[in-house]
Amino acid sequence: MDLFLHLCIMILIYIIFALSLNLEVGYTGLFNFGHVAFFGIGAYASALLTLHHVPFELSLLIALAMAGSWGFLLSLPSLRLRGDYFGIATLGFGEIIRMIFQNEVWLTKGPMGLPGISKPILFSYRFATLPQYFLLALGFAIITFLILRIILRSPFGRVLRAIREDEVATEALGKNVFRFRIKSFVIGSFFAGLAGTLWGHYITFISPGDFTLLETILVLLIIVLGGKGTEWGPVIGAVLLIFFQESLRFLRLPAEYTRYLAPLQQMIFGGLLVLLMIFRPEGIIKEKGKVENVRSETGQ
Amino acid sequence: MLEVKRVNKSFGGIRAVSDCTLGTKGYRITGLIGPNGSGKTTLFNLITGFLSLDKGEISFKGERINGYLPHHVAECGMVRTFQLARIFPKMTVLENMLLAPSHQTGERLWSLWLKRNRIREEERKNLVKALALINTVGLFHLRDQFAANLSYGQQKLLELARILMAEPEMILLDEPTAGINPSLIRKMMELILKMRDSGKVFFIIEHNMDVVIELCDWVFVLDNGEKIAEGKPKEIQNDPRVIEAYLGV
Amino acid sequence: MEFLLQSILNGILAGCIYALFAMGLTLIYGVLNFVNFAHGELIMWGAYFLYLLMEKPIGLPLFLAFIPALFFTMILGLGTDRFIFKPLRQANRLTLLIASLGLSFLLRNGAQFFWGAEIRTYGFEIKRGMRFWGVSITSNQVAIIIASVICIALLYLLFYKSRLGKSMRAVSDSLELARVVGINSRRTIQFTWVIASILAGLGGILLALDTNLQPGMGLINLVKAFAATLLGGVGNLWGALLGGIVIGLAENLGVLVISPGYKDAIAFGIMVLMLLVKPSVLFRNQE
Repeated sequence: MDLFLHLCIMILIYIIFALSLNLEVGYTGLFNFGHVAFFGIGAYASALLTLHHVPFELSLLIALAMAGSWGFLLSLPSLRLRGDYFGIATLGFGEIIRMIFQNEVWLTKGPMGLPGISKPILFSYRFATLPQYFLLALGFAIITFLILRIILRSPFGRVLRAIREDEVATEALGKNVFRFRIKSFVIGSFFAGLAGTLWGHYITFISPGDFTLLETILVLLIIVLGGKGTEWGPVIGAVLLIFFQESLRFLRLPAEYTRYLAPLQQMIFGGLLVLLMIFRPEGIIKEKGKVENVRSETGQ
Repeated sequence: MLEVKRVNKSFGGIRAVSDCTLGTKGYRITGLIGPNGSGKTTLFNLITGFLSLDKGEISFKGERINGYLPHHVAECGMVRTFQLARIFPKMTVLENMLLAPSHQTGERLWSLWLKRNRIREEERKNLVKALALINTVGLFHLRDQFAANLSYGQQKLLELARILMAEPEMILLDEPTAGINPSLIRKMMELILKMRDSGKVFFIIEHNMDVVIELCDWVFVLDNGEKIAEGKPKEIQNDPRVIEAYLGV
Repeated sequence: MEFLLQSILNGILAGCIYALFAMGLTLIYGVLNFVNFAHGELIMWGAYFLYLLMEKPIGLPLFLAFIPALFFTMILGLGTDRFIFKPLRQANRLTLLIASLGLSFLLRNGAQFFWGAEIRTYGFEIKRGMRFWGVSITSNQVAIIIASVICIALLYLLFYKSRLGKSMRAVSDSLELARVVGINSRRTIQFTWVIASILAGLGGILLALDTNLQPGMGLINLVKAFAATLLGGVGNLWGALLGGIVIGLAENLGVLVISPGYKDAIAFGIMVLMLLVKPSVLFRNQE
C-alpha cells in the first residue's frame, strides 16, 4: 500500500510538472529545454524558507513567485530568439541554475544538499503521512489541471495555439506575440515551481544533482509520449513513465549491477524519445486536427 | 489615408525599395503593380511593420507609423494578407475566424477569472458574426473543418473573411487572386467590391491586369524598387514606361 | 603579469579547441539547418574512443590510436544521420530538436554505462612545460595548437578551393536548388557529417588530453560551441573560429575575476550578453 501511495504521489507531482511544460511546448510551441531550472528554484526556495521557520503557506507563495519571476527574467532576452536558439538558451540556463545551486554553498549548502525539509503544514493541518501527502498532491494536481484547462480553452489559449501554428499571421492579426509568449512561459515556470516545492517537501532532502538534464528529458518524454498539446496527454505520460521509473528503483539487483541501472534506464529514456520522434511523434493521445501529410513548417 | 514618403530599404547592397512616395489619397481601391522582384511585397512589409525602413516616413490616418510593430499597425486599423495564404492549419475555420477580433477580453489573463460573463458574451457575439461572415464567403459547410483540409482557394477566402472579422479600416491584399481558379477569382472580386461599398479602403498588389482594371480606382507601378508611374488603370495599361518595365530586361 | 600572459595562452589553447567544436556545429547547422544537440556527445565519444583504444586490452600508443578513434567517431556521426536525422528530414523543427536531445541523452548515458561516471584521463604523466617569456607550455599543448591550425587550414582548402566545398555551400544555401542543379545532396550531406564528426572527435581528444574525460563533458561543451557559433555568426566558418578563441580567452581571463566554479558559465553569459546587445541577427523570422 505504501508503495502504491508513493507511486501516486510521484505521479501527481510529475503531472503538475508535465502540465506546466505542455503549456509552453505543446500549446505555445516554445522549445523550453531548461524547465528543470524552475522545478529546482521552487524546491530550493521553499526548502530554504521552511528550514528557516517561515510558515509553509508563505514559503509556498514565495517559492511560486520566485519561479515565476525567474521565468520572466529568462524569457525577456531569450524569447527574441528563433526556436533552436531558444532551445539552447534554455538548456544552458538549466545548467547555469544547477551550477548556482552547486556553487553558492553559503545559500544552498552546495553539493551537500539540504536535509530535513519539514513536511508541509497548510492552515494548521500537517501533511506528514503518506495518505495525507497523497491528498495534498492530489489537491494541487487537480487545481493545476483545472486552472490550465481554463486558460487553454479560453481566447487566450486560442492565441497561444495560433502562435504555435503561425506567429507571423498571429502578429498580423494584431496580437502582441512576444507578450503572449512571455505570459505562457511565466505561467509554465510558476507551475513548475509548484511541482518542485511539492517534490522537495516530499522527499525531504534535495541537492543540486536532483535538478539535471535528466529531469528535463523525463518531463519532455512524458509529454511527447502522452501526446503534447492535449489536456490528458501529460497525465497518461506521467502515469506510464513514473511507474516505470519508480518500479526500477525497487528492483532487487546484486550489488555489482546497480551502477549499470541508472545509465541503462536513462539510455532507455533517450532511446524512447528518439524512437517516438521517428515513429510516432504525436504520442498516445493524438492532437485534434493532425492531418497526415501537413507540410512541415516553412520558414521557422 | 495611407501615405508613404520617400521610403528606402536595402538588403546588403541591394536596394529593394528606392525613394518611394505614394499615397492612397481618397481612392477606395488602390493598386500596386510591377514585375516580379520590383519591391511590392517589401513595401507591404515596410508599411505593416514586418520590416524596418532605412529612410522615409509612413503615416496612416495622419499618424506616423514607421517603427511600429506589426501587431500595433494592425491595432491601428490596417490589416494585411500574405502572398501565400497564412491560415492556421490545425485550427478549425471557425477558430481561425474567432482569432481575428482585436482587444478580446478573453485574451487577457486576469480577465479569465474576473470577467467571465463578459467573455462569454463576447464569444457569443463573435461566434454569430463569424458564422455570418463564413456564410457570406460560402464556407459555412466547412466551419468545423481544419483549415489545412481546405483547398487553396478556400483558404484564401478564409483569409479574406478573417480580415473582415477584424473590422479594419484599411485592408492590404498581397496578390489575392494568385493561384486560384477563375470562378473563385470572380467571387473574390465581388467580395472586395461589396466590402468597398460598406466603407473599407483597399491597397492591393496584383499581377492579374483584368482584376486591376476592374477593381482599382488608381494604380501605382513599381520597377526595381522605384515608382515609375501612377494613374488610372486604363492609362497605366497603355503607358510605355510600364510596358517596357514588364517586357524589358 | 606572467599570470596574465599565462591566462592568455591558456585562453588561446582552449579557444582553438572550442573553435573546432564550433566549426563542426556550424557546418551541420549550415548544411542541414538545425542545431544538433548531440554534437557535444560526438565530442565526448571521440575522446572515449581514443581511451578505449589506448587502454588495455587494446593498448595502442597515441599516434596509432587516434586515427581509428576519429574513424569511429565519424561512423557514429554518419550513423546518427542515417538512422535518426535522415528519417526526420521533413519533420517539424520541434520533433527534430527533441530527437537530437534524446540522442544526446542516449549517447551520454551509453558512455556512462560502459565507463562509469568517474573522471578519467589518458594516463600521460604531467610533463614539465617549456618556458618562454615567463609562460609555460607543455608539448601536448603545442600539439594542440598545431593540430588545430592544420585542421583549420585544411578546412579552408576544402571549403573554398574544392568542388565538394562548393557543393556544401550550395546545399547550405538551398537544398532543393542544389538538387535541381545536379549536386548530389545526399553525398554532400554525408560528407558534411564526416567532417563535422572528425572535428568534434578531434576536439574532444585534444580537450581530454589537456584536461580529462567524463560522460557529462558533452553538454557543457555544446553550450560553449553554440556560444562561439553565435558570436561568429551561424553558418560562418571563420566566425566559429573567432568565436571559439574569444570564448577561450574570456573563460581564462574571466576566472581571474570570478569564482572558478562558474568558469563554464562564462560562455553562457557571453551568449546572453550577445543576445541582449545584438539580437537582430537571431530574430525570429521576419517576412
